[in-house]
Amino acid sequence: MTGITKRGLLGTTTALAAAAILPARRAAAQDMPAHERQLYEAAQREGELTWYTGQLQAEPSEAVGRAFTERYPGVRCNVVRTTSQVAFQRLSQDARARVAQCDVFSSTDYSHFTFLKREGRLMAYKPQNAAGMVKAAREAADPDGHFQVTYLALYMLARRTDRLSEAEAPKSWRELTDAKWRDKMAVGHPGFSGAIGNWAIMMKSMYGERYFREFERNKPQIGRSAGDPVTTLNAGERIVGVGIPSAATLFSISRGNPLALIYPTDGTLLVPAPSAAIANAPKPNAAKLFMEFACGSAYSRAVREFSAESLRPEVPPPEGSRPLDEIKTITPTPAQVQNEMTEVKELWRDIFGV
Amino acid sequence: MSEAPALPRAQAAPIQARRSGRLARFEPVTLLWVALIAILLFLVAFPLGKLLVVSFETRGTGEFTLMNYVSAYGRSRYVDALVNSLRLGLTSATIAVVMAVPMAWAVSRTDMPFKGLTWAVVLGAFILPPYLSAVGWILLAGPNSGFINLFWRWATGADGALVNIYSFSGMALVIALNAFPLVFIFVKSALDLVSSEMEDAANILGAGTWTAMRKVSLPLVWPAIMAGFIIVFLEAIALFGTPAIIGIPARINVVTTQLWQFFEYPVRVEVAAAYAMPLLLITAGMIVVQKLMLARKGYVSQTGKGGERRPIKLGPWRWVAFGWCAAVGLMAVIAPLFVLLQASFAKAWGRGLAWDNLTLANYRLLIFEHDMAMTSIWNTIWFSATAATIAVLLALMVAYIVNRKLVPFGEALGFLAMAPFVIPGIVMAIGFYAAYASPPFALYGTAAIIILAFAARFLPIAYANSSSAIRAVHPEMEEAARILGSGRLHAIWMITAPLVRKSLLGGWLIVFIVASRELSAAIFLVGPRTRTMSVLLYDLSEAGNFEVLAAFGGLLLVVTMVFVGIGMKLVGRDFMLRRN
Repeated sequence: MTGITKRGLLGTTTALAAAAILPARRAAAQDMPAHERQLYEAAQREGELTWYTGQLQAEPSEAVGRAFTERYPGVRCNVVRTTSQVAFQRLSQDARARVAQCDVFSSTDYSHFTFLKREGRLMAYKPQNAAGMVKAAREAADPDGHFQVTYLALYMLARRTDRLSEAEAPKSWRELTDAKWRDKMAVGHPGFSGAIGNWAIMMKSMYGERYFREFERNKPQIGRSAGDPVTTLNAGERIVGVGIPSAATLFSISRGNPLALIYPTDGTLLVPAPSAAIANAPKPNAAKLFMEFACGSAYSRAVREFSAESLRPEVPPPEGSRPLDEIKTITPTPAQVQNEMTEVKELWRDIFGV
Repeated sequence: MSEAPALPRAQAAPIQARRSGRLARFEPVTLLWVALIAILLFLVAFPLGKLLVVSFETRGTGEFTLMNYVSAYGRSRYVDALVNSLRLGLTSATIAVVMAVPMAWAVSRTDMPFKGLTWAVVLGAFILPPYLSAVGWILLAGPNSGFINLFWRWATGADGALVNIYSFSGMALVIALNAFPLVFIFVKSALDLVSSEMEDAANILGAGTWTAMRKVSLPLVWPAIMAGFIIVFLEAIALFGTPAIIGIPARINVVTTQLWQFFEYPVRVEVAAAYAMPLLLITAGMIVVQKLMLARKGYVSQTGKGGERRPIKLGPWRWVAFGWCAAVGLMAVIAPLFVLLQASFAKAWGRGLAWDNLTLANYRLLIFEHDMAMTSIWNTIWFSATAATIAVLLALMVAYIVNRKLVPFGEALGFLAMAPFVIPGIVMAIGFYAAYASPPFALYGTAAIIILAFAARFLPIAYANSSSAIRAVHPEMEEAARILGSGRLHAIWMITAPLVRKSLLGGWLIVFIVASRELSAAIFLVGPRTRTMSVLLYDLSEAGNFEVLAAFGGLLLVVTMVFVGIGMKLVGRDFMLRRN
């Protein structure tokens, strides 16, 4: 008993010590354009920033935070990773309590940004690096430069390769209402995941409310994050993942899990997911610097390791994913997201009970 | 106060004289009493009062309205959640009583073997945070991938699942498996006081062991069973983690998950407050029912004639009793802990125990690569330690004043200190958010708001502990010192404090441990830099990444075990389970 306890204590102390030392280890100085260097100098005085994000999964989000500090030693990035709706909830709680804690906000729900911009709560800062991004990202960004697209997220279907052959697997969203998928599917929750909210808006506009009632009859297992079904599939709990992010799935496949992506014939969901510096950011320069970073190539290189789409022409797309221009994509318009998100969440909760 | 100058001079003079007379008799303890009242009002009464006021306010303008109650109960889904919570509380409490009462009886009254193991199981179930055992049970009893169901299919060739964790009964069972130690502790300490003579009398009149237990021992501890039932009920309806982790896939909405929804944009604190009010009424109602049910009967088992207590010989039945304890222990602690441990070292938990599935990556990610994991461990330790210190000191002072009857209306203090006991933690957290998050206090996102909420929430535990400790020290020892010229504080410091030190330390540790796993209050109050381990675990659970989550749970348990170990060393093996 005592032996275990002492060892545990020792381990914890070592870990704590390591955690304290690691950030202090500085990476070699890197070549940096003038505008970044200027911001970097100002940001160093601030020392850190806080990033609320609901875009990438937990592990890649942490990796992005580390990549940032590696590129700009002395500026720490506090990563607060939740689902997009929870991130926005925390931001709203901050606002309601009139406390500024968040510097950069990222989510998969476009309407968060149109709302925040309208309320004057986004920093009017257009990163210079944004000019060099891929067309899809540039076009979906805010024309006034208040927010940028930092994640071109693809959501599709996935299957367990060992339990469901390619021929048998569903080919489209529409097919999921077929009774043969009863008790076989897993999906995220629009009340938590911005991506699933986008998906629900598209399903509603393509197939009507009836789609959800029919989908509900097949008893999909509901998680919270859009990435949740990837784990559910890995565990063998279900065999078809619905609205799963390509990045998390490809990453899981690269780890040896028996999964395969299915690009739905009625359109892969493409969600341009924005990031923005917050107007009353407690660390404004670090926030601007992070926005430059997120629009630059170091960020795309970091997220590519986790199979997320590259946002820079000079960084190749991740392995195993199909080029964006070869697939049929569907995307709700910003107006649709803004007007229908709340409604579709309520609809979902009324139909599914949670 | 300041009316004196307004009075005619002739009248003012005698008042002055009386006042100085009063001042002469003024004891510093009165000041302390005033300060304590102020602190307790700040910690307990103000957040609750604010919650009540806010529930009648219009968002933004603050005008009086009843619309919050309409919004809170205007949808059948919201009402369903309340009904679900009540059913869940009742079911879990019933299961917990069914599990724990035979265990308590067997440990307290019989010659069942391996009582130490049963103690360990109870302690283990108490330490294991509810959301961790929820995850453990998902790994065990997921309908398709859970180990129990895999084994069932393999053994019987059946197609379906034996158990499905994603169900109402599954959720109630998991909660009960986590909460039964509360019933056990209550009932066992009550049974310890029942003397064998009562059972003997029954035996002489022809009743067997079974009948004597049913008709004599258990009815005598009925108040303890009731108290345990109510505590588990309160625990169950206030839980947030388990309903979020199991309830969402099971498609069961409860009060806590619904309250969370009211915090979505736009943050509707007002509606949340209105929605929480019936919960307070229900808990108050339960206390009243308990009083009514117990009022008409006598439950005196302790009398001046010291009774003898000896274990009942069960014969072969003692193995049945042990089997029961072992089964509960297996379900509550051993099985979930085992699968969590397996998952924490696994690349993919569904692949089970295999060499090529083993990895340290989950721990490496948390310890070396995760930005917040280590910070949250540190946060958890120091928030809980500070909260425990505040709670114990406050409770000690209140208990001293109340028990020594130093001031009139001292019971008011005791009442305030016990009040959080009947307030679900999540309601308390929303009260704290409503009262202290915004300016002028502006405590949102600070460590202070979490520490204060923890201290307030667990004050009753500390108070019950301190109160019994103080009661055990007869005032005559202090009086002796004071006769010899010592001041009150000096006497307390030199005489009372050393005598109660050990049990206070025990109380401190219990508060520390329950605070270190607290989720339902913390989730509403954390800021980006004040996340605790439980909140980070919750965030990790969103994506269903159970391997990393299990590893983090492992770290949480290591931290807790360190403190339990210290407690056992300093206070004695059973410090957590003793109830004076």
